[in-house]
Amino acid sequence: MNSSLWTGIKLVLCKELTMGLRFKAAWASMFMFALTTLACVSLAMQGGQLEPKMAAALLWMIIFFASMVGADRGFADEDAAGTLMVLKLYGSAQPVLFGKMLYSFFLLAMLVLFIAPLFFVLMGAEAVFPGVFVLTLLLGVAGIAAAGTLLAALAVGARVKNGLFAVLMLPVILPVFLPAIFLTAEALGGGSLSLNYLGGMALYDGLLAVGASVLFDYLWYED
Amino acid sequence: MGAVLGGLTLAVVALVFFVVPPAEGLGYYVRLAFFHIPVAWAAVIAFLVSAFQGAKYLRSQEMAADAGSAAAARIGFAFVLLATISGAVFSKLTWGAYWNWDPRQTTIFVLLLIYGAYLTLRGAMPAGHRRAKTAAVYAMFSFLTVPFLVFILPRLYFSLHPSPVINGTGLAMDSVMLAVLLTALVDVTGIFYWLYRKQRTRILREEKE
Amino acid sequence: MIEIKFAAVSQCFHGRKILGPLDCGLCGGRITAVTGRNGIGKSTFLKLAGHFLMPSSGKVTVTSDGMEMRGEVLRRRIAMVMPELRFYDRLTARENLDFLLGLRGRRLDDEEYGALLDQVGLSPKAVSRSYAGEFSTGMGQRLKMAALLAAEAEIWLLDEPGANLDADGQAMVAREARAAAERGVLVAIATNAPGEEALADEFIPLDGH
Repeated sequence: MNSSLWTGIKLVLCKELTMGLRFKAAWASMFMFALTTLACVSLAMQGGQLEPKMAAALLWMIIFFASMVGADRGFADEDAAGTLMVLKLYGSAQPVLFGKMLYSFFLLAMLVLFIAPLFFVLMGAEAVFPGVFVLTLLLGVAGIAAAGTLLAALAVGARVKNGLFAVLMLPVILPVFLPAIFLTAEALGGGSLSLNYLGGMALYDGLLAVGASVLFDYLWYED
Repeated sequence: MGAVLGGLTLAVVALVFFVVPPAEGLGYYVRLAFFHIPVAWAAVIAFLVSAFQGAKYLRSQEMAADAGSAAAARIGFAFVLLATISGAVFSKLTWGAYWNWDPRQTTIFVLLLIYGAYLTLRGAMPAGHRRAKTAAVYAMFSFLTVPFLVFILPRLYFSLHPSPVINGTGLAMDSVMLAVLLTALVDVTGIFYWLYRKQRTRILREEKE
Repeated sequence: MIEIKFAAVSQCFHGRKILGPLDCGLCGGRITAVTGRNGIGKSTFLKLAGHFLMPSSGKVTVTSDGMEMRGEVLRRRIAMVMPELRFYDRLTARENLDFLLGLRGRRLDDEEYGALLDQVGLSPKAVSRSYAGEFSTGMGQRLKMAALLAAEAEIWLLDEPGANLDADGQAMVAREARAAAERGVLVAIATNAPGEEALADEFIPLDGH
């Protein structure tokens, strides 16, 4: 049972990666969106420096909204292409959920890898604790992937889609988001580190993933 | 039931205005607390009821449970709005600013967001089992924030709110105040239950048509 | 043996009744034709039968040797051909089949794949170099038949399976449906085509309200 679950997850993940590689526009739009937002703020500030707290908030805003453009579109894209039905017919709930979640995490990790160096260059910020900075980003992004995948599946049936996803997402992701901003600010040199937030974030990421796993069955099977 | 609640409400209002003494440091502003605390309490209760009814729907697929979840959310939304506004006014009067992201303020604001999101989601879907299921799943999923709101948030932000109800920090609660507050809590909880029942029947009737 | 029972099933959409109330049954080893004019709810009937849609009232029960099935257990026994079923248009036919069947825990080797294409009348040359999105509608329909056959399901839900197929293709559908029924598969066909109706052992005429 467990090996078949893992095979299924790998199949879904590989399919997403193959499709992504063949149609790069989705990836490009997410990266360009992040770059544009960052450039906007940087331009407006004309080289002025942001204090760590503001810089951290800005970085997380960019990641949050960029995730909506690209990484958390898994189910919306299936729905738009008309392939959701065939996936529902052949795929079991758990492999589909976790395959998509891992793919979303992978994309967001790539995004972070792309945007963080640019952030340091353009905003003139400096990571005092690089390890904590990277770990915070990864844990935060994992939470966005876990919650985003379930909510993306949930939003598919709704008739208004564009704004709805952000509305659904924010309250659920706040418990990851707030500590992430605090920790990022601290890692950028704004005060002493409170490392137990990292544990809290990891715990909440796990809680979101487990919650998504339990609830996704109800969305995937109508009966 | 309506008449009993109306009488009780009048009694509470009379008690608050004529019996409750002005509190040290707050003066007569303390009267607002007898509105603010019960309303915030009811908003939290409504959240629990909504999630509970959502879980019940997922287990049983009865539309009555879905209607219960929706009714609790609608009334909860009204209560959470009242709590937010009264809280902001209270905050301005006593601390000098309408909003300062105190942990309790953040909690109530997150509740406001969740109620808003839940009701928007319902509004964006046609009635039926599909909507009931989606809404229930969201109610349950957003319920995951509760441990964070209760245990972690208070450590992230410094609080100005008296803990846990009203005591310490120059605001000793005498027995008269406590009794009046408890009566107000019972009254508002009763009002919530009354409105909830009415709303639930209305939603069920709307869906039948 | 597989059985599907409809008990007092009706389906509403936006408060308007579009199907039912229905009481009927389908069983394994038989080909059942669901007939009626356009818009009468034939596709809805098939979705209800496969638990892809829950009825507004009444109950659809699927049993295997008397044991009720639902959720994942049921889903894994169903295969469908429907107009709204679409493959991934940026994957080739082979990749589509490998992915979808892989999710059901089945792997096709080259030999089986070749035989399957032959069975549904697709030439390996024509499908090997293009993505599924570049297929003609007829080829797409044949690919759906290939996925149906390879799934080795016990319940076949076919919504106008002969649509967009030439005479040769329609004969293939008829042949495979009959062969499946002889293996004990429950075959339900929603159709108005005289050729497919002639195939049926049982009829469920949907005739309005």
